Amino acid sequence: MRRKIIPLMLMLAAGLMVWQCSPKEDPAEVQTGGEPETLLEPITASQIDSVVKQYRGEKAVLVNLWATWCGPCVEEFPHIVELQEKYEDQLKVIFISGDFTDPYVEVPKFLKEYKVDWTTYLKTGNDQEFIPAVDPTWSGALPFTKIYDKQGNVVARWENSADFETFHKHVKNAINGG
Amino acid sequence: MKSAIIERFGSGVLTLLLIWGASILPVQAQMNQVKPISIGTDAPMTDVDLETTDGEMTTLQASAMEKGLVVMFTCNTCPYVKAWEDRFNEVSQMAKEQGIGFIALNPNTKYRDKGDSMDDMKKRAQDYNYQFTYALDKNNQLADAYGATRTPEIFLFNSDMKLVYHGAIDDNYKSKADVQKTYLKDALMALGNGNDIMPKTTKSLGCSIKRVR
Repeated sequence: MRRKIIPLMLMLAAGLMVWQCSPKEDPAEVQTGGEPETLLEPITASQIDSVVKQYRGEKAVLVNLWATWCGPCVEEFPHIVELQEKYEDQLKVIFISGDFTDPYVEVPKFLKEYKVDWTTYLKTGNDQEFIPAVDPTWSGALPFTKIYDKQGNVVARWENSADFETFHKHVKNAINGG
Repeated sequence: MKSAIIERFGSGVLTLLLIWGASILPVQAQMNQVKPISIGTDAPMTDVDLETTDGEMTTLQASAMEKGLVVMFTCNTCPYVKAWEDRFNEVSQMAKEQGIGFIALNPNTKYRDKGDSMDDMKKRAQDYNYQFTYALDKNNQLADAYGATRTPEIFLFNSDMKLVYHGAIDDNYKSKADVQKTYLKDALMALGNGNDIMPKTTKSLGCSIKRVR
């Protein structure tokens, strides 16, 4: 009897340890009705192209490089979210964060505040490779925006923040074919 | 040929053709694009008076040493600056040992009331024991002349005050211990020893300069 109880207790203890060590709630995920969608995924220089290309022929794409602590990024963030909601079927916004202090806590918290419920990305890897992979004309200053039409042509790109009208004008242009 | 077409169809047709041609080409909007000075360019505005955190006035020319000058655009309000800040004194010391001056400029005119005032700069220099000159770039005029876009951003000039290196301090802002490429230190050593600098330009993420235009 004692021989059976000891292994059982060990198994229970191991199970308890696994349960204690596993995250209670993943802050980077949100339940969207079906499968949970990851709010923040790492992205490297070599992955940027394929992430952008997956919407080719279907939607215009707006890529925005930002960070939670970046004042101009935070100023323009709601404009971009508003446009994603307005043109849900014709535009895909790809946010890439440059956060590096507790990004998997800070970024999802910010995204939830602004009701962003789609997958966004976290810049990962060397700046020297990453910056030209986003755009060869980008200096690395945040924020940076690049807009593609449905065929994948770049219709606009700029450093620094912009107002809603500017974003809207270029998004409409991209949706209408560049 | 052109005159024959104009003669036959009139200039209106040509105009229409030009408009149609422009409309089918993808037009790229490129706003607010600041262009940095190129390698080999003379340092601009070297005689402009700059107020320092020591309460004195200086110029870039006065800050240069016999082998050149490092101009670092920086500020008090950027996490990238803070992440790299544990290397500032080290690189400035190394520059001086190579006979190269070192000056840091704060160009964030729009943030003078948000942490980038002269008083804030004085406190920063004191808190972090800056061993180099920290000066205010009034109305971001030097940042505009150099085409600087972010903080921190380095421009290294040789003894003729021609640009020989532009870009990052190194390849890892997050961790000094994990740096693999010491771009600025390598450039300083090369310049000090009279060798060619490679690479001459590098890129890094940074906070956009808060300019007034």
